[in-house]
Amino acid sequence: MAKFMYIFRGGAFVTPGLSPSEMQAHLAKWYAWAGALAKEGRHSGGNPLHNGGKTIRGQERMVTDGPYAESKDLVTGSLILEATSLEEATELALACPVFEMGGSLEVRPVADANDEAAGGAR
Amino acid sequence: MRPPVELADHQLVEDLFRRESGHLVAALTRLFGPSNLTLVEDVVQDALMAAMQAWQFEPPRDPKAWILQTARNRAIDVLRRERRRVSLPPGLDAEGELGVVASALSPAEETASELAMMFSICDGGLGQETHVTLILRWLCGLSPQEIARAFLVDTQTIDRRLHRGRARLAELGRLHDVEDADQMRAREPSVHQALYLLFSEGYHGSDSTHPLRPGLCADALRLAELLLLAGRSTDHVQAHALAALFCFDSARLPTRLDDDGIFLPLAEQDRARWDRSLIDRGVVHLAEAAAGDRLGRWHLEAGIACEHAIAPSVDETDWARIVDLYDQLLGLNPSPVLALNRALAVAQLRGVEAGRAALVALAHEEKLVGYPFFWAARADIERRAGRPTEARPLYERAVSLSRSRAERRAYERRIEQLGV
Repeated sequence: MAKFMYIFRGGAFVTPGLSPSEMQAHLAKWYAWAGALAKEGRHSGGNPLHNGGKTIRGQERMVTDGPYAESKDLVTGSLILEATSLEEATELALACPVFEMGGSLEVRPVADANDEAAGGAR
Repeated sequence: MRPPVELADHQLVEDLFRRESGHLVAALTRLFGPSNLTLVEDVVQDALMAAMQAWQFEPPRDPKAWILQTARNRAIDVLRRERRRVSLPPGLDAEGELGVVASALSPAEETASELAMMFSICDGGLGQETHVTLILRWLCGLSPQEIARAFLVDTQTIDRRLHRGRARLAELGRLHDVEDADQMRAREPSVHQALYLLFSEGYHGSDSTHPLRPGLCADALRLAELLLLAGRSTDHVQAHALAALFCFDSARLPTRLDDDGIFLPLAEQDRARWDRSLIDRGVVHLAEAAAGDRLGRWHLEAGIACEHAIAPSVDETDWARIVDLYDQLLGLNPSPVLALNRALAVAQLRGVEAGRAALVALAHEEKLVGYPFFWAARADIERRAGRPTEARPLYERAVSLSRSRAERRAYERRIEQLGV
């Protein structure tokens, strides 16, 4: 098993005007998806993010308010997943509810400095 | 981090987001004043959105406390930021906003806030439909689109009602307090009527794709029972009667539609699937309602619903009592739809010919001519009297007037069973 990082962007968490029922119904879908993966022992919880924050950039360390992204590209959370291959990790991501409201998901292999065989993309 | 196995099968309390939306809007409107309702709605929306995002992988141990804490922080931010721009009620501009906000959102104030909101909404200057719209929006957390769908009207109509409601509440200056017994008593009939409409919308709603909305029935029952927590300012006898009616009818919700989503006649419903605990709760409410010396509309309607709910079958139902209750109800409030239901009870008590005569006597009622259930009722009588050829065109008329697939299919099915 290798580790992959799911990086979630946009979707319901940046969609204005959702009703309370819609929010709760959407959450239930996340629990169904993430819960099934947890049951298989593939992860032990993700990292949800708040939408605020600071961005620091450049030689001059310029600090600005908020994340540096359009709302549809805003990172809303991440999760480390165990899978046998990039293909499997991608396949497992397809059922994620992030896509329902225009969000996207990035699947990235987690690099391991102590495992030479794991160098490069799998 | 928790062990992975606990992560599976997460569930939130049903309607947690809607419930907390209603609670927060009421509590913060009571604090900030109704002229700042738009600001309040923004704070609540923000808090719920933050909750959804923070809980995307698993809910917190105490979801309600999480939402309240977040709403409290956002409300304090708003107070500090908006102090110069919006007019806040006196007292809020002093320091110590933390304490004020915390106490407004404390569990001890929840009932008082929701009651204050409900009674303020049911203002004589606003129509009944607007009362129900505002209750659904601000106490039940439905979006304008969801309310429009439930009432089969366009979203602009709902927006106009919300606009009128906001303006009227702003004129009030502040929400009515539960302790203000005069205001509570004066507004109580409007509150009861609004909850009755809310319940009806869930029980046989106008939404053609979802003819039953059990969530709305549950909201109406919850708010009716909330009236019983209003201390001495409200008429508990009437509130108990209303709650009893909602309990008995809610108990029968699970069998109103069959597996294909088609309305089932009472005689074909599986009574074993009626919710016993709701029927028992209704009986307790009805017993409490009997404490009064005045038999009101809700008592009589609850009495009828009770007879249906406790009867083992259609034949073993106390139809004599039901006809008597309908007679009393018609004495209070003559209505063609009530008369129609009475005629059906008469058919059970005194036979189909007596029922037929009572129904035919109503044929001139304008309100019934466009009501599919009236034609289906007449058709049922003809069928039971052994006159299927007379029944058929009457069922066809009911089909042509039906408002949902669930209704239409129910009548079509009866035509198929006629065999003519």
